[in-house]
Amino acid sequence: MNVPTVHPVPDVPAVPVVLQAKNLVKRYGHVTALDGMDFELRADEVLAVIGDNGAGKSTLIKALSGAIVPDAGEIRLDGRLVRFGSPIEARLAGVECCYQDLAVAPAMTVAENLFLGRELRRAGFLGRCLRMLDRQKMIDVAGARMADLQVGIHSMTQTVETLSGGQRQCVAVARAAAFARHVVILDEPTAALGVKEGNMVLELIRRVRDKGLPVVLISHNMPHVFEIADRIHVARLGRRAAVLNPKKLSMSDAVAVMTGATAPENIPAEWQA
Amino acid sequence: MRIAVLGPFLALIAACLFFATQSDRFLTGENLSLVLQQAVVVGIIAIGQTLVILTAGIDLSCGMVMALGGIIMSKFAVDFGLTAPIAMAAGISVAALFGLTNGLLVTTVKLPPFIVTLGTMNIAFAITQLYSHSQTVTDLPLWMTALGDTFSLAGTKVAWGTLLMLALYGLTWFVLSETAAGRHVYAVGNNPEAARLVGIPTRKVLLGVYALAGVFYGFASLLSVGRTGVGDPNAGQTENLDAITAVVLGGTSLFGGRGVVIGSLIGTLVVGVFRNGLTLMGVSSIYQVLVTGILVILAVTADQLSRKGAR
Repeated sequence: MNVPTVHPVPDVPAVPVVLQAKNLVKRYGHVTALDGMDFELRADEVLAVIGDNGAGKSTLIKALSGAIVPDAGEIRLDGRLVRFGSPIEARLAGVECCYQDLAVAPAMTVAENLFLGRELRRAGFLGRCLRMLDRQKMIDVAGARMADLQVGIHSMTQTVETLSGGQRQCVAVARAAAFARHVVILDEPTAALGVKEGNMVLELIRRVRDKGLPVVLISHNMPHVFEIADRIHVARLGRRAAVLNPKKLSMSDAVAVMTGATAPENIPAEWQA
Repeated sequence: MRIAVLGPFLALIAACLFFATQSDRFLTGENLSLVLQQAVVVGIIAIGQTLVILTAGIDLSCGMVMALGGIIMSKFAVDFGLTAPIAMAAGISVAALFGLTNGLLVTTVKLPPFIVTLGTMNIAFAITQLYSHSQTVTDLPLWMTALGDTFSLAGTKVAWGTLLMLALYGLTWFVLSETAAGRHVYAVGNNPEAARLVGIPTRKVLLGVYALAGVFYGFASLLSVGRTGVGDPNAGQTENLDAITAVVLGGTSLFGGRGVVIGSLIGTLVVGVFRNGLTLMGVSSIYQVLVTGILVILAVTADQLSRKGAR
């Protein structure tokens, strides 16, 4: 008797895709920065984006965060087609981006930096007619968010320039994380930081992910990428060369894919994620 | 903020003490009232200048635009027989228009503020001279000089213009420190790229700042005309550098994003005290110009050094 064996469907949990891009194209004059770039960010992951200079990673990030509008291609957030005309539109949709070095106003306080561009106004006449800010509430909310993310900064009224480089970067990351509802994008958050300070920021990124916010991390720092990323998106020549699993390959393997020394068709299946 | 204006405040006290030892007329109510009255024009120009400098810009056209506003309002009143309020509004509008032009050139053509305002400074000066034929405009309607009138407060004469200046300082302080629009001015001066990326309309902020500065210069022309009682085509020449000096002495950084407007009021008083004290000492006006030049360089040096210290 030939009873067909029932193969149990392998128990692969369907991880929802939060942010997805297909076939993005962006040209600057004769230069093609994005040449059909695909992108996929899953819930609950830290996705690192690596690539040589000019591979298109920063253009990709700008497109995903609304800083530029791609010439062609589509972007989906939670499955819905979106078109971000500006960083504000991306932010309103729940995508927060923190840019390298450009994130903070040094002479302003931690609380002011956290609420820059989304200040809270007082209730009633003072707020509505005199447009007066609610400083105390901003300080309280900022303190709560920072405590929540365990950033070791306790005074919300000190200016950012009085903080160390690592703490400054934490403020920038925390600002993105504190307000993002769907996605946090971090552009080189550990660049120009010492070992200890870099680790401080990595710890913060891990906490953000563990709170359920997926993180896109652009970085040149391979040890940091391998320490924290769940998957690695490799950009090359304006396209996605591969998505790698950092647990299955070495840093030099990843660099080989990034530089093209290992051609996409030669990437072993077990490296891919 | 308390700490930010402490230095300028001590400088003011020191200047007052110094001149008190040099002339016994300095510390009289009459003389101090005069210092305040003389300070109003520079004081109000300095408000506009503070806004511009907070965005890391500079407005060299301030004094000349003020002079043009004064000539426009007095000529309009005298030549066309316009009632004072309309002529005054016309003068303020022309000053605002100059500010707006500065703003457009800075934001749209993206020229450096220094060059833009150096150009408009000369343009405003030339228009002032051409339109007035370099003649002082006299016989102004009474209404127009009302702001120069004084009333007596505890035996000391206080000009209405002084009250207007203090009100404008209060208003500007409130907007700069207590509203989002004001904080955005600081953010743009601090880090324009960060401000843009968090969604602050940086170009609108800059345009607003330059235009508003023009409005303040217009108010200053009102007071200049009110105080002197005439439309003077050669007004604004010392006020130009005095206002910049006042702002920098008041602790506002030329690199943008740092400073408080009240500091500019104190800076204005420092400049006023120096001019008044040196006059009482019988020092010629050329030396006063010399001292102002030295003051501005000292203030900028202090700014530069404190900025390095903060890093």
